[in-house]
Parts: sequence; structure tokens; C-alpha cells
Amino acid sequence: MHLTLHIWRQQNATSAGGFETYRVDDVLPEMSFLEMLDVLNERLTREGREPVAFDHDCREGICGMCSLVINGAPHGPDRATTTCQLHMRRFHDGETIYIEPFRATAFPVLKDLVVDRSAFDRILAAGGFITARTGSPPDANSVPVPKVDADLAMDAAACIGCGACVAACKNAAAMLFVGAKVSHLALLPQGKPERRRRALQMVQQMDAEGFGGCTNERECEAACPKGISVANIARLNREYLWASLADPE
Amino acid sequence: MAFHRPQKVRMFHRLRTFLGSTLGKKVAMSITGLLLVLFLIAHLAGNLLFFKDQDRSAFDHYAQMLEENPLLPLAEIGLLVLFVVHLGLAFLTTRQNREARATRYRVSQALGKRTLGSSTMLITGILVLAFVVVHLLDFRFKERAPDGLGAMLERRLSEPIGAGIYLLGVIALGIHLSHAVRSALRTLGADHPRFNELLQRGALTLAGVLFLGFAAFPLVVVGSRLGSTLASSSADEGAPTTPADPGLAPLPVSADGQGH
Amino acid sequence: MSTPTASATNSRLDAKCPSGPLAERWDKHRFELKLINPANKRKFHVLVVGTGLAGASAASTLADLGYQVSAFCIQDSARRAHSIAAQGGINAAKNYQNDGDSVRRLFYDTIKGGDFRARESNVYRLAQVSGNIIDQCTALGVPFAREYGGLLANRSFGGAQVSRTFYARGQTGQQLLLGAYSALMRQVGSGRVKMFPRHEMLDLVLVEGVARGIVTRDLVSGEIESFAGDAVLLCTGGYGNVFYLSTNAQNCNVTAAWRAHLRGAYFANPCFTQIHPTCIPVSGDHQSKLTLMSESLRNDGRVWVPKAQGDQRPPGQIPEAERDYYLERRYPSFGNLAPRDIASRAAKERCDAGFGVGAGGRAVFLDFGDAIQRDGVEAIRARYGNLFEMYERITAEDPYQQPMRISPAVHYTMGGLWVDYNLESTVPGLFVLGEANFSDHGANRLGASALMQGLADGYFIIPYTLGGHLAGRKLPKVDSSRAEFREAVEAARERTRRWLSIRGKRSVRSFHRELGLTMWDHCGMARTRDGLLAGLAKVTALKDEFHRDLCVQGTSEGLNQSLEHAGRVADFFELGELMIRDALQREESCGGHFREEHQTKDGEARRDDANFCYVAAWERDSAGTGWQMHREALNFENVQLATRSYA
Repeated sequence: MHLTLHIWRQQNATSAGGFETYRVDDVLPEMSFLEMLDVLNERLTREGREPVAFDHDCREGICGMCSLVINGAPHGPDRATTTCQLHMRRFHDGETIYIEPFRATAFPVLKDLVVDRSAFDRILAAGGFITARTGSPPDANSVPVPKVDADLAMDAAACIGCGACVAACKNAAAMLFVGAKVSHLALLPQGKPERRRRALQMVQQMDAEGFGGCTNERECEAACPKGISVANIARLNREYLWASLADPE
Repeated sequence: MAFHRPQKVRMFHRLRTFLGSTLGKKVAMSITGLLLVLFLIAHLAGNLLFFKDQDRSAFDHYAQMLEENPLLPLAEIGLLVLFVVHLGLAFLTTRQNREARATRYRVSQALGKRTLGSSTMLITGILVLAFVVVHLLDFRFKERAPDGLGAMLERRLSEPIGAGIYLLGVIALGIHLSHAVRSALRTLGADHPRFNELLQRGALTLAGVLFLGFAAFPLVVVGSRLGSTLASSSADEGAPTTPADPGLAPLPVSADGQGH
Repeated sequence: MSTPTASATNSRLDAKCPSGPLAERWDKHRFELKLINPANKRKFHVLVVGTGLAGASAASTLADLGYQVSAFCIQDSARRAHSIAAQGGINAAKNYQNDGDSVRRLFYDTIKGGDFRARESNVYRLAQVSGNIIDQCTALGVPFAREYGGLLANRSFGGAQVSRTFYARGQTGQQLLLGAYSALMRQVGSGRVKMFPRHEMLDLVLVEGVARGIVTRDLVSGEIESFAGDAVLLCTGGYGNVFYLSTNAQNCNVTAAWRAHLRGAYFANPCFTQIHPTCIPVSGDHQSKLTLMSESLRNDGRVWVPKAQGDQRPPGQIPEAERDYYLERRYPSFGNLAPRDIASRAAKERCDAGFGVGAGGRAVFLDFGDAIQRDGVEAIRARYGNLFEMYERITAEDPYQQPMRISPAVHYTMGGLWVDYNLESTVPGLFVLGEANFSDHGANRLGASALMQGLADGYFIIPYTLGGHLAGRKLPKVDSSRAEFREAVEAARERTRRWLSIRGKRSVRSFHRELGLTMWDHCGMARTRDGLLAGLAKVTALKDEFHRDLCVQGTSEGLNQSLEHAGRVADFFELGELMIRDALQREESCGGHFREEHQTKDGEARRDDANFCYVAAWERDSAGTGWQMHREALNFENVQLATRSYA
């Protein structure tokens, strides 16, 4: 396969960036998208040019490190697939591909296709946890959890924190990410004692990071590599609304 | 500490925090929007009296009853507040949203449930705002004609420009509502796998009914006018109507005059 | 050092295992360990490197106890450490199934699974705290699978005949890590942990022989700086990426451990590497990683190859009578759930004999046909849906319609920095947790035990044993302006500059790939003396070429992924050399280490307990050119050293 790539190149966070065009030959259909970029980077290195920087780690779709907006779609054209799990058989010979970094004011570009997603960490540090001192919990089976709730919590907990939801949203809203975490913990009995505080503080931090608001276009859900449902956003809305009304503090 | 604050200050503080947040703003927009939708339902229901009889007496009577109600100013102020809050928050959140995504993609594509309505909320909102201004100038702040509100409305909608404005306004409203109702409900947390389909359809149906209901006014008036013009040019008898104003074209016998 | 020699000195290898009855040792030890006054804890600063299960659980727990903690990870967030990729589950001796499990049975299974090359005391303690881990994780909101009654569900896993594995769909590692990460984030939010993401540890700093700091490179700014503390915890994972192709994440590396090794920490049993039997086969030279298919698949999948050599028919056309279910044939009592080393080797044996399937005959079938017929497609989808999807995405084949093709791949490294019962290395003040240490899995790790060990170390062991170090030693105040720190920073800068200044022709990746292939061919699933010696020569030659002909573009200021990679591969070269030496000295077959010279006539591993019942702990010699091996004898007082049989 032969491809024409337009890739966003940017030296560092403060410099201006732009697209550069590369032709890549010898692309095999069974390569993953990142392996295709490896091929490009090997060639750039040999030619004395700097390779394209992109985040990646596990390359099996679970760590959430890889990103990229491929022809306008975060993680590329396949539904419920991370970029590292996207394979070149999805593209055709001679195709032109635009590769851009995730775009959001809260996710500044660090270099080329690498962005800073530490805003997510700060949101979780604000309340995305259950306070349970090591050693103090009761026996795991002492609090039964209805299977339905456990399954719903697991659906929400499948979030890999990649930020595709933010990248896909025209408002760069982090509602799906925050909604997934709030839902995961609010659905479990263990998470109930802190549920109000959690919703209030996480939303507060989300706003402070400069994410936008939700306009219910469900672009996030479509882009999510783990198929997290917007039902979690509705749950976040309920949690937040109720916490705002009822929180005694 | 929060618990040392007097109750009132705390309430105010909490409201400010709530409205300061993206979610709070969206919730407030949703509530005001839905209340405005309720108003639209009532408005449409009352206005449908226009079609009840030919001399618009039911409609005029309804208008008079409303105007004589001492609570009307209160309701008007309420509506104004809803409108201003809805609008103000819309501009605030839009600005915030634009800031959150300052850089656009070179290539972009919609993959989710983006619709004409969802992607044009601000534009349709502004169009509705413009329309409301015109509408208020037409009927709220204009001296009442001696032949009644119904006749005023008929005259306004008979002008091609007037009909055009009203039709455009209603179309903008329809597009706005096609996204607004379901979106507002979702923002208020309405989501359940068993009812989502129902909510979606119900919201669209409501938007559709409001759109068709309001669109009926310019369409019927223009349609009947066209119909009677055609009728009077083909047969020279003239319709058995009693034009109140010499400048006004003859009107059809029934409200469904466009069915000629 | 042309031929490896093994000198036996035990001087510094005091494992500090408590004496007395096995079941009371940990209790006794905890009582004997010194405590630190709560008010004094905040005066101690602990540096935690790595934020996987071990690192995140340790950092959060220590911060909760009151220590000041700084945590470092190379990823952009602590949540992305490679623990996240563990699929199948976590073992615990809860005996919720009432099927005969107990602490002692988990202990025994683990010791036996490790082919009797682990310490009894450590493993027993691991089994003892296993139940607390499940309690802790549940409290943190880990959505473990549940029965309809709301109680926890279990599944079976390789190497055990009881159902003791807790799981969260096929994402157990992810959920456990998110639990530990959320606890860590709570501490970050409260200011008790300072988090340094995108920071790579490049060196360990010793002051008066005690680990007192680390040198890091900020991967975004390129700045090399040092941090001082009262203890250093390495939770930096395993070194499977020495093979280039492995199931490890791309950024997994040995550098932190290796730098500590060069500063005096002994490296134990480096040749003990685990080859996982069920991975998606290699498809070409471009391949950057191998993807694991959870061992849990072997609960329902049956492994087979055609009975005829070179049978090229599609699997569906091979009749039942012409299929060789070789695991069920060779190991009737464990069948498809034979431990990983055994299942991998059995696959290799079939492939080497010419019965393999797929490209190059390097794979075997994992067939769900019977399970689908028995339980229905939906039941199988509910159990393994995400894994089946992953398989289909990578191979474009539908495993509901045709059997998966699987082949063994490097997955885990049992070896690592030597630690005593306190998880302290031979460098005082340097503790090593999780996969980075060598302690609990012997020569082979059982499935669902890595998560258990990482969390045991972080949640339940280090919080006690660290106190022993902090309270038991005089730790004068040090800061990073001391000469030791400045020298280490300068050395790290120099090393980083070196990779940029070679200006050769070959990329880091090409070197890494060749090193990996060499290691796989010579020090992989089956090893011979001649093969190892040839491998050693190749690795040394390649290492020389690396230092002569490496090509790294860009600068040392700012983000430079090739530069990061270069430093890691340089350390892999040295580690590779040591692995081969270790494999050479161990003239026996045990667990993941299979020497072809030492096998039974049925092709099973033949252990040599008389001569090799020890831990090989390697010390870098002072000249920095070779190693000296130390032996820690393993004493088994509570289990009978037996031939490991799963037949």
C-alpha cells in the first residue's frame, strides 16, 4: 500500500505548528496504524530528519496513551477501537490521511501529535475516588452488590481516560469522562457515602481546567474506544443536580 | 466554614456556584427552555381559536380576556426573565465552549448524533430572538386596531413580507426545538434505556406539533388569500365575504381555505 | 569473562526470613519491626518510582500513613502503567467457592507453580494477605464480577484446581490499577503525594552506601534533575522487552532496575522469563508488539494441532479423529489448564515437530467449537466477548466461526532485583516491589498471581517493612546539592548526550529488534549451552555496533522519544548479556527456564535440586565489565520438593 500522510508537526508547546506531507510506501494491511507510523519514523531517522512524536504504550487498546485524530475522527474510522488497534486494512491503497493531535484548550500540544492530558488527573484528584484507608475495609462479600449495578459500574469503569471524548466534542467537553467516573463510583454501594461531594468537586475541577459544556450531540460516545454510553452524562447531571440541591455542606 | 454562614448567604453562595458551573448553566438553560416550551404550548392552544370562526370573535374574545387578567403583567415579566436568562446563558456557554476548543481540525466529520438542530442552536436561537422582537412590535407594542387582534393578525400575515418573517421565525423555532427538548431533558438527567426511544420520539413530536401549529397561521392566511385570488380571477363572482378594510383581499369561507 | 563462572559467596544475601512456624512468621516479623511515631512519619520523604499496581498502592498507602511521598512515572498519567493490561484476574485464598481452597493451598500451588525456586516465607505471606487485597480493592470501587445474589464470582485459572480467581470482565488489571490509581490521586489531591508524570529514572543516588535519591529526566523538557529522599521504592515492572516482541507495553524497560543494579543492587534469576502460551501469532517484521489472549480462554477453549504434519487444511475441514488435543493427551488432570510454561513448551514441541499451523507453522489452534456447542454463542460472548473482538480486530478472523491461532510469547519476568523478606535490595534503603523484584514466583508464575503480588507488596508489605528501615537506620538529612547527586546528574547528562553524538546509521528500533530476535532465538523458550554461548557472542557484538553506529535524531532538550528508547535499549544489551550468563550457569530445567540438555525422555523439565536449589543473585563487579554470582540457598521446610507433575 502507498499512502499520503498530512501530519501535524510542532516543535514544542510554545511554537506554531503546521502540516507536513509524507509519502509512505511498503505499508502492509496487517500493520497497525502506529506500526505504519513506525515505518515512517524509521525512514525519517535514516534520512536525518526528526521522527514524528506520538504517544503510545500498551498497543493493545487498554492503557489509553495513544490518541490522534485521523481524518477527523479521534482514534480513526473504526468504532470502539483505539488508534493502536486500528489496522491498515481499514484504508485503501493511495489514500490520503490527515493526522492531527487531539484538540482542546485543556489539552495543549506538547510536540507534534503529543498532547498534555494531565487535566484528567487533576479532575480525578479532586474527587474521583473512594476514601478507603488500606487495611480498614470489611470482607469483600459483606456488602452484596446487585449484579446489574456491578455490571453498569463496570461499563462505566471501562473508560481508559484517553480523551477521545474531549477531542470529538465541538466544545471540548469532558462530560463523558467525568460522567463515567462519577457513574462508576455512584453505582456501587461503596461509593455512595462520597457521591455528592465527588460530583460537586469533579465538576468544579472540570470547569477550572477549561473544558466546555455538553450540547448532547453524542459525538463523544461515537468516538469512545470503549463504547462508554452518554447515559453516564445524564447520570452525572442527576448526581450534580441532586448534590447541588441536597448537599448539606 | 460553610456551616457558620447564615442560611441566606449560603443559599446565595450555592446558587452562584451552581450557575457558575457549566452543568449549572446548562441545567438553568434547560429549565428556562422547557418553561418557554410550556408557554409555547399554551400560546399555540389559545391562538388556535383564530381558526374557530370566520370573524375571529373567539380569538378576539380570548385576547381580551387575557389582557384584562390582572396577572398578565406578572406573566409577561416571568416570560421576559425566562427569555433573558435562557439567552444570556446561551451566549455565556457558547463563549465558554468556543474557548474550550480554540483550534479547529483541518478535517472534521460528525460521527455521533449531530443534527441540523443540534449544530445550529445558536443561529436558530438568534433567529427566534429576532422573530420575537418583530412579533412583539407587531402585536404587543402596537396600538390595537378597532377591528380587533384577529384582523390585525390577518392583515400582518397577508403581507408577503409579514408572512415570510413569520414562516421563517417558525421554521427557526422548529429546528431549534428539534434538538432542544430532548437535549434539555437529557441535561436534566432524563435517560433510561427503556424510555430513551419514547423520550426521543415524544420530544420530536412535540417540536413537530409546535412547528406545524404555528406554521399553520401564515400558511393558512397566505394560502387562503392565494386561493381566493385564484378563485376571483377564474370566476368573477367574488367570495361572499365582507372585507373590513379596503386594502385587504377577500378571505375564504373556511379556515382550511388552502385546500382549494 | 569468556565463560561464565559462579563464585559462591553469601555474605550480603541475608534474606532476613523470620523463623518459626510458617503461618506465624509474618505476624512475628511485623511485631518485631520498629514502628514510627505518627507525628514523625511526615518527616520522612519516600521516592516511589513507577505507578503500576505495586507503585500506586505503595505510594497511596504510605501517604495515608503520613509519609511524604513523591511518585514518578514515565507515562503521561499514573493510570497508564502496564499493570493495566492484565486481563484474566487476581488470585486470593478466600475460599468463597467452598471448593477446598486455603492459604496453605494457594501457597503450595504458587511454590509448585514456580517449580520450587521461590522462598517459602515470602510466598506464604503472599497467600496470607491475598484475601485482604480483595477486600481493599472492593472498598476502592473495583467492580469485580458478581453472582446474581450480589456476592463475588470466581473463575478457574491455570495451575490450580480450585476457583480462586477474582475478575472484572477481561480487564481485571485495568480495574485494579484504576482502584490503586484513584487512591493515589486522592493523596495527590490532598497534597501528600507529589506526582511526577513523564519522568524517567536514570540513576540511583547513594549517600554513604544508602539509597537516598534518584536522577530523572523530564521527558517533556528534557531536563535532568535529582530528587533526595529517605528511601527509594522501585516499582518499575519487568524486563520482557529485552525480547523486543513481547506482550509488554512499548515503554516497559529495565533502566531503573538496571541503574540500581549498577549501583550495587544484585540482580536475581534474570533468566527466569515467562512465555505465555496464548498470544496472537507474529504476522510480519513490522510487528512492534504481541497481544496476549487471556489465559482464562483456556477454561473453555481446547488446544489442538492436526495429527498429520504440515496439514494445510482449514481447521473446519479437519475431522475430530485427525486432531491432536496434545495438552489433554499429555496432562489429563489439568488438560488445557496446564501452567503457562508447560503449555508454551508443549506448543513449541508440536510446532518444532512440524505440526504447527498458520504462517510458518508457528501457531496452534485454540478452539471454542465445543464450548459454543455446549453453552451457546451468547454464553461464550458474555465470558470472552471483548477478547474475541480484539482477536478479530488484529487478525481479521472470526473466532466464533473458526478456532483462534495462538502462539507463545514473552509475557512476564520472574527474575528481577534481589530483595530480602522486607523487599529491600542489597542496597540499603532501596526497596523493590512487584514484577521488578524476583521474590515470589520462582521459575514460573501462575496466572492471576502477578496482580496479587504487586498489590500485596504495595498495600500490605512495604507499609510495615519500610518502617524498619526508617526507624532502624540513622538517616542524616541530605539534599540534592550534595556531590553524590551532582555527579549522578552529570553522568546521566553525559550518557544522554552520548546517544546523540554517535551519529551512526542505524535506528534504535532496528537494534532493539535484532537484540530481541537474538534473545528469543538463543535464550527463549528452550536453551542449550551452545546456543547460549553463540547468543552471548552475538549480543556482545551487537552491543558494540550499537555504541558505534547508533543514529538518534533531534536534541536532548525537549521531547525525544528515540533518545528515551536509546537509553533503554543500551541497558537491555547489558541485561541480555546477564540473562544469558544466568541461563548458562543454571544447568537444570525449571519453570520458564528450559535447558534442552536437562529433560526427561518425555520432554519434561528435569530439575536438579541437589545442585541448583538456589537463587542466583548477580553482582556487577567493580570494574563494571563482568559479574559475580552469589547464591541464596532455598530451604524448603514445609513442602516436599517434588517433581512438578500436572499429568
